[in-house]
Amino acid sequence: MSAETIAEQPDISILCPDALLADYCQDARWGLAVVRATVLEAAHPQIGAALIENSTFVTHPWRRVFNTLLSVQRILDADPRVRDKEGARLNRMHARIAGVDPKGRPYNAMDPDARAWVVGSLFESTVNLSRMSGVTMSAGDMERLYEEFKAFLVLLEGTADHLPPTVDDFWPYFDETIERGLENTEAMRIILFELFGRMPAPPLLRTHPALWAVGRAMAGPVIGEFLKGTLPESVRQRAGLADLPGSHMLARGVYMGTGVAARVLPESWTRTDTVVGLLDPSLANGGSGSHLLSALRRQQTRAAALIRLLSPISGDDSSSAGSAARSADRFFAEVLDQTGDGYVSWPDIAAMAREVASRLDLEADGEERLFDAFAGWWRELSSALDTDGDGRVSRAEYAAAASSQASPALVRVAEVLFDATDADGDQTISAVEHRALFRTAFSRDVRTTGQDARYSRSEFIREFLDFMAGRHDDSAGYDSLLAQA
Amino acid sequence: MVSAPRHVACVMDGNGRWARQRYLPRTAGHRAAEAAVIDVIEAARSAGVGWLSLYAFSTENWRRPSDEIDFLMGLIRRTLRKHALSMCARNIRCRFLGVSDPRIPSGLAQDISDLVELTRDNRGMTLTVAFDHGGRRDIVEAARALIRDGVPADLVTEESFAEHLPHPDTPDVDLVIRTSGEQRISNFMLWQVAYAEWVFPEVLWPDFRAEHFHECLRAYRNRERRFGDVRSPNPILKGSR
Repeated sequence: MSAETIAEQPDISILCPDALLADYCQDARWGLAVVRATVLEAAHPQIGAALIENSTFVTHPWRRVFNTLLSVQRILDADPRVRDKEGARLNRMHARIAGVDPKGRPYNAMDPDARAWVVGSLFESTVNLSRMSGVTMSAGDMERLYEEFKAFLVLLEGTADHLPPTVDDFWPYFDETIERGLENTEAMRIILFELFGRMPAPPLLRTHPALWAVGRAMAGPVIGEFLKGTLPESVRQRAGLADLPGSHMLARGVYMGTGVAARVLPESWTRTDTVVGLLDPSLANGGSGSHLLSALRRQQTRAAALIRLLSPISGDDSSSAGSAARSADRFFAEVLDQTGDGYVSWPDIAAMAREVASRLDLEADGEERLFDAFAGWWRELSSALDTDGDGRVSRAEYAAAASSQASPALVRVAEVLFDATDADGDQTISAVEHRALFRTAFSRDVRTTGQDARYSRSEFIREFLDFMAGRHDDSAGYDSLLAQA
Repeated sequence: MVSAPRHVACVMDGNGRWARQRYLPRTAGHRAAEAAVIDVIEAARSAGVGWLSLYAFSTENWRRPSDEIDFLMGLIRRTLRKHALSMCARNIRCRFLGVSDPRIPSGLAQDISDLVELTRDNRGMTLTVAFDHGGRRDIVEAARALIRDGVPADLVTEESFAEHLPHPDTPDVDLVIRTSGEQRISNFMLWQVAYAEWVFPEVLWPDFRAEHFHECLRAYRNRERRFGDVRSPNPILKGSR
């Protein structure tokens, strides 16, 4: 912040399983705090631009929520090396995000003020939502939590100087930023007005689109209103949000309600892991329930297959040429266009690399190789398909040329992906390694079933190429990696 | 009494001729083939055949007129959907060999993967449908896979090579039935038919029924299977259960 705040830096070793933050992120309601903080972040011009240009938040909101959770869990890990590695990874990820916004202003995800705001808004949201649920944090707890968030910033920046030194100083900083530092950005508008109306189904409900649509139609506006109700007055005014009577009450009601539920329901039910595990069984790691969940999921895919086979053929799928084009279209929308802007450009490809790097928890050099391979593929893709030379591949350009040829650069991506996944370097992918990448057990007939089931390099590459050619909807689990939210 | 062959494969030939003899369009012959397919699946199952493979569409068949291809794709899709549930109920595991051409309509590709998923754990009989299949292509793919795996030349054996073919758990074909009297291999499961007995009944595929199938099994049983060995006159046991 300013010169006189160079006081002592918080010790990052307070980021451990005993941290106060750990209690909060165990509570499923903390997800709401993450979303609310994201709205505040998105209103920051630098962060808003980075979100719009690079983030997959709009197309893959669940992924962002799950990944935030994973990040915080790693940062609070008992082993300090896990924490440091995650901090370094986040830095590498942010270092790749920079550019110029539509108004010509440069943005950079490494900007210290912007990063301080990310950490600060997350702190404020945690405190705020805790208060709204009827539990007012004690002054001591609040100070402790603030120190932890500052330590988080130290982990990223090496210093917490861009946040005020004490909680008492934080509130004026927060109000000041809200008042002068924020704008009515496109990213914020998208999150507030569009996201909840068309949020894709979480993986568990993906096979029940109708159910999800109904639930979303009812819950979407409520969550949207709830979010709006929790926002600071001036942010709401700036976003042109009508002061809907009762929206503040609603926000309180929702949060109070969940607060009561949290007290009445068995504790394990409201734990983040449980909720996430229910939303996406493939994320339920270890634990006794994961077997049951994966069995359940299998039953579910089978039931979905049966339902699809028994339901009448929709008439629009009769000519082979037309349907091939549609399939390319779907592949474009579901896999390639990660940011959902209707074009494929480097941020889309980078988002894929980022997701893989984050899941596999790669070291710097492994990550470098992965990004290089994806960049090579992007160069090839853009030189082959970008016919109008605008630096991005449109849906039409892709459809016109949709080739199923396995290009050398894509084979290279597959090879690097294999090497990265093959953590122990024995030239095969074991069940454990497979789970790290796809978060599912083997789903198809691997040569030998049981404990020794393994993928060889060639099988792995073939499946990847098949998936990227849009040939199979889901061969190994790439849908859960790249297509699903 | 010698038991049934373990793995029987059918090259379903003669649909076009069947239709021409009746002054019908070729498509009518394909449509009539469905009944034969269902009959043969049932016959094979009751005869104790563990593995049945059907040659439905070759990589060369893409050269046919596009009308016929469109019709075939639609027919295969309807047939597959019609019988999916009964396949599942009869404990038949369905698999597909090939199915990699992007010209396959996405709806059909989805149905194929759904059927495979639905019947994955069935163990009664394994039905392999060679669809968009080419025997040479499978061999080339296996060679590629070996090279990608970095297998040293000395370690490339018949066994390790076979491991890289699609569905490597499939046993060698014991008996191939090619209907309509045509006597060609037509690029069908080249690796797996190395020691197969072949029978060439004159009947056209749409007319092929369970009794023809049993006849072919009888012919198979009456043959001496020697696998190149000249000493033993009666070694039919190898390759059968």
